[in-house]
Amino acid sequence: MNVFDGPLGRPTPASGLTVRGLTLRFRAEILFQDLSFDLPPGRFTCLLGPSGVGKTSLLRALAGLMPVRDAEIRCDDTGSPAGRIAWMDQRDQLLPWLNARDNVTLGSRLRGEPADGERARMLLAEVGLAGQAETQPAALSGGMRQRVALARTLYEDRPIVLLDEPFAAVDAPTRHRLQRLAARLLAGRTVLLVTHDPLEALILGHEVHVLSGRPARIAATLRPDGLPPRSAASPALAAMQAELLDRLANADSEGLP
Amino acid sequence: MLTRTAWLGRLAPALLGLLVVAGWEALVRFNDIPSYVLPGPLAVAETLWREGPGLLAALLVTLRVTLAALLVAALTGVLLAALMAQSAWIERSLMPYAVFLQVTPIVAIAPLIIIYVEQPFLALLACAWIVAFFPLVANTAAGLRSADRGLQDLFRLYGAGRLQRLRLLLWPSALPHFLAGLRISGGLALIGAVVAEFVAGTGGSETGIAFRILEAGYRLQVPKMFAGLVLLAITGIGIYGALAWFSRLLLRRWHESALPPRS
Repeated sequence: MNVFDGPLGRPTPASGLTVRGLTLRFRAEILFQDLSFDLPPGRFTCLLGPSGVGKTSLLRALAGLMPVRDAEIRCDDTGSPAGRIAWMDQRDQLLPWLNARDNVTLGSRLRGEPADGERARMLLAEVGLAGQAETQPAALSGGMRQRVALARTLYEDRPIVLLDEPFAAVDAPTRHRLQRLAARLLAGRTVLLVTHDPLEALILGHEVHVLSGRPARIAATLRPDGLPPRSAASPALAAMQAELLDRLANADSEGLP
Repeated sequence: MLTRTAWLGRLAPALLGLLVVAGWEALVRFNDIPSYVLPGPLAVAETLWREGPGLLAALLVTLRVTLAALLVAALTGVLLAALMAQSAWIERSLMPYAVFLQVTPIVAIAPLIIIYVEQPFLALLACAWIVAFFPLVANTAAGLRSADRGLQDLFRLYGAGRLQRLRLLLWPSALPHFLAGLRISGGLALIGAVVAEFVAGTGGSETGIAFRILEAGYRLQVPKMFAGLVLLAITGIGIYGALAWFSRLLLRRWHESALPPRS
């Protein structure tokens, strides 16, 4: 079934995102200099880089949460991405004083719109939390909280979704399930996933950009065969993962023997 | 069901109290200490029973001042903290004066307030308010600042206005801090009211418990002084307990401080 046929998403037209000449600083340090890349519409693009390379700053810049000078960040129709971006973080960022359903519909309340409880209920059912709508985050496990966060991201129904290492804080089997769930539910949207996990990038990405250096630049771009979500069991994927790990380890080895 | 150690844990403070009270009674009896120097606990209890109605009426007067002051302090504290959260400049301009109020001893300001504020109830309320106000402002302001950065980003991204941000993010984040401030201020408001009564003397037609203690002191009715003190102490503990219960009630579903321990 095409996810857009269901009640989960109005057919939001996918929009790509173009980034040209982005320079970002954190205090005195230049994180990115003159960085350019494209997010093709309706695809998963992964940015793979070691921790501390500035991935979160990059996402904040794209989301308009951080001032950028001179850079060009625009959607396919040349419009600004403001209001078209949803965000999911590695910390679930649920409001602890709201139950799961009210967390999912948070965006509506923030904009002063009536909350669409029915849609929230369906999204929670879709992420496997049908019975937990009234539960507070404190009573949910880490993986469940992350699924509520995913439902909230989907509730926003925005064409562009930024994922900041969304599954880094959960255990390996949960991560595996969440990756498949995200691939299914976010299909058709323009997704940028930043991660330090080569396997995650290879499973989920139509395209994988490898960041390295300081200031960081895109050192390589991989387009693995087949469509995501790919099986981690494939030998080709395992070989690519090994290569990517080597590459990340080398890029990260300054000062190490 | 409580285990044996848990029962012992609950009984231990009561046992210690009994021991101290028994020692006190024994000390007074064996040394024949006159009751105008140190009354034994039985004499105090007997006075409490005899003078109870009058003392309770007086306590009610003090309690009214205390609770009114606490309420006003909570309202003004939250308002001022919300104002401070709007801009660092407002906070920087106001905070020194809040500290000024806090560090000036209430015994020193109370006589002035009692001269300037003619209505006795309001004068007492002002004194208690000055003491109770600062922990509420300082804690609430710190709480409003402590909202998670990631959540602030999320609120901006999803188009939250200033008011939504204050109501749905900053205020709930500040609530545990505010409640901690309230627990401190509850006791302080009582102290403020008592100090003000001591300074104000007879003040109005109604007299509070502190004035009764003072009066009993002038008449060397030492057992009555002790009885008044006992009532005040119980009231203070009661206020603290009530506020702690209120705090748990508000936070029990989500805040770490009130959640049941993990099994």
